Amino acid sequence: MAASSRRDGGAAGRAKAERSAWVLLTPMCLLMAVAFILPVGLFLLYSFYRFRGGRLEETFTLETYWRFMTDELYLITIYDTLQLAVLATLLCLVISYPLAYAMWRMRSPGLQKLIAFIVFAPVLVSVVVRSYGWTVVLADQGPVNFILTRLGLTSGPVSLVYNMTGTVISLAHVFLPFVVFPILASMLRLDPTLREAAEDLGASWWKTFRSITLPLTLPGVVAGAQICFTLSLGSFVTPAILGGGRVLVLPIQIYTATSDINWPVAAVGGLCLLVMAFIAVVAFGRLSQYSEAV
Amino acid sequence: MSGTVELVGVTKRFGSHLAVDAISFGIGSGEFFSLLGPSGCGKSTTLRMLSGFEAPDEGIIRIAGQDMADVPPYRRPTNIVFQRWALFPHMSVEANVAFGLEAEGRPRAEIRSRVGDALALVGLSGFAARKPGQLSGGQMQRVALARALVKRPKVLLLDEPLSALDLKLRHQMQIELKRIQQEIGTTFVFVTHDQGEALAMSDKVAVMNAGRVEQIASPQELYDAPATRFVAGFIGHANLLPVTVDGVANGLAMVRLGDLHFAAALRETSIGDMPSGEAILALRFERVRIGAGPAAEAAGAAGAGVARATGVVRQMIFGGASVQYVVGLDAAPVEITAEQPHGAGAPVFAQGTPVTLSWEPADGRLFKA
Ligand SMILES: Nc1ncnc2c1ncn2[C@@H]1O[C@H](COP(=O)(O)OP(=O)(O)OP(=O)(O)O)[C@@H](O)[C@H]1O
Ligand SMILES: [Mg+2]
Repeated sequence: MAASSRRDGGAAGRAKAERSAWVLLTPMCLLMAVAFILPVGLFLLYSFYRFRGGRLEETFTLETYWRFMTDELYLITIYDTLQLAVLATLLCLVISYPLAYAMWRMRSPGLQKLIAFIVFAPVLVSVVVRSYGWTVVLADQGPVNFILTRLGLTSGPVSLVYNMTGTVISLAHVFLPFVVFPILASMLRLDPTLREAAEDLGASWWKTFRSITLPLTLPGVVAGAQICFTLSLGSFVTPAILGGGRVLVLPIQIYTATSDINWPVAAVGGLCLLVMAFIAVVAFGRLSQYSEAV
Repeated sequence: MSGTVELVGVTKRFGSHLAVDAISFGIGSGEFFSLLGPSGCGKSTTLRMLSGFEAPDEGIIRIAGQDMADVPPYRRPTNIVFQRWALFPHMSVEANVAFGLEAEGRPRAEIRSRVGDALALVGLSGFAARKPGQLSGGQMQRVALARALVKRPKVLLLDEPLSALDLKLRHQMQIELKRIQQEIGTTFVFVTHDQGEALAMSDKVAVMNAGRVEQIASPQELYDAPATRFVAGFIGHANLLPVTVDGVANGLAMVRLGDLHFAAALRETSIGDMPSGEAILALRFERVRIGAGPAAEAAGAAGAGVARATGVVRQMIFGGASVQYVVGLDAAPVEITAEQPHGAGAPVFAQGTPVTLSWEPADGRLFKA
């Protein structure tokens, strides 16, 4: 009898703990409902409306979806958006991994902090200011082209700005900390004796890197890439300023559609972004599962 | 020559901290050699200098007769088993063990057969495909051992490899490790802070304290003839009693502990620097006999030079095979612990019982205070 009542008490305690967990989750759930589920629901609704002659008609149609799948303008936009995100992520990774590795192996904590600050600095500067800064730096008469021409690497100025190149460079610049720090964190989590064990067993630096360091820091790479990719998909100001109208990405198109009160196009564009981000997150998640499995 | 290790005046500093202080000793080929000492005494640092992960600030390290000064870890004829084993978590047991041979660029067939042999040696043949995360502590320990041994090192270095295992498993692995060592005949340098482990497994033990080697001897010698007060206190259990030496007669020192006068044998080595005045007498728990009081009756018994002291049992600690009695002496404000085997008619003394302690002059060892 005593034992059973104690067990009941345990169950009640567990129920109580569960209830308090729900209380803690409530603010997050409310925020999700208001800021995510509700807008997505509205988006869905609007995406089926008809827009004709500058006016919104509340009649059900799949026309907008059809246009997104067949109209060349929309296909180019989707392609550009993906291209921008893929290139920015790749550039970020190519810069970040060696950078994180250098910071990890660095002996001087002062230098490490300085580099961390430099990596983090672009986030502190307004996106508008930073983008205009890059247009100056990358302009035909700008310092980068000056140096390239002086070094004889190019005969004339290379167009680095008002196109995909400049946009990718600027995006990679600002998303660098979101990739460097997850990678660095995964390196710092790595047990240092693992590398010593590899060296003790006769492995060269390259073999140690390839079979120990890289596979065990891949989760950091995946996390960084996930963040960089999804943030790049949603970028607006940078492609607007540095793309010079040549980089057609979904956020810009959504902005234009919204100012024309073309809600259905804006809604389908938004859903497109959502689906792309979702696919990317799932795909990257798969990759990190794979890296943990090998 | 093949598996010998020699250290000559090896010193290592971390900043101003002297971690290893001019140690010198030699290890014979095929020996099971232990570095024993309390935490922070420089055991791991010594081992890391042997493996090449730390460079000595002074001194010479020779392995198999060759100076190791400019030889990096991956080219030394040593392999190490780390304290927490450091298995590669993303690789199977087989891949872990094969790693070192792949790094050497051995042919596939050879790797296969040697990995198979190594896993068989440690009794893990059926576990080749498992990941380290799917193994028990003892099994991980064996994988780490196989991974190092498959390289056929001349000297195997082990840094407290058993300290993460529970007591039962530790005893089992001690026997296993000893068996493997005898089977392959490799020199083992084994680091431990557990004196029981060192005594049980080693051919020779170096007792370290604060960066210095206090004594190098066989386990039996360490136990029977500790060279320093530190060793006497660290190996086994000993009472360290503050005594005064009054004089020497017939090779015996006449010592005084409070109002108690008795004789203590002089060590061969201590004749030159015979302690006079204040000294420390080390007296092993199990050498102190305990009998029922009162003292008067015991005093009449025969046995010249046998020290006797009366006291009261302050504490009784039951340890299964033996019982320890902490006895407060009547003649001096000190406590002496006596250990007696339990059972077979041995009387048990409860707390508060008056008792008489006795020991032979040869049971105590004198050290400078
Ligand atoms: N990399 C290092 N930097 C600074 N001091 C160190 C370093 N490695 C060890 N020490 C110091 O050197 C001394 C000896 O360390 P060591 O690791 O050799 O001890 P140990 O005998 O292995 O102890 P334990 O049984 O706790 O492992 C310690 O005081 C330690 O703090
Ligand atoms: Mg240690």
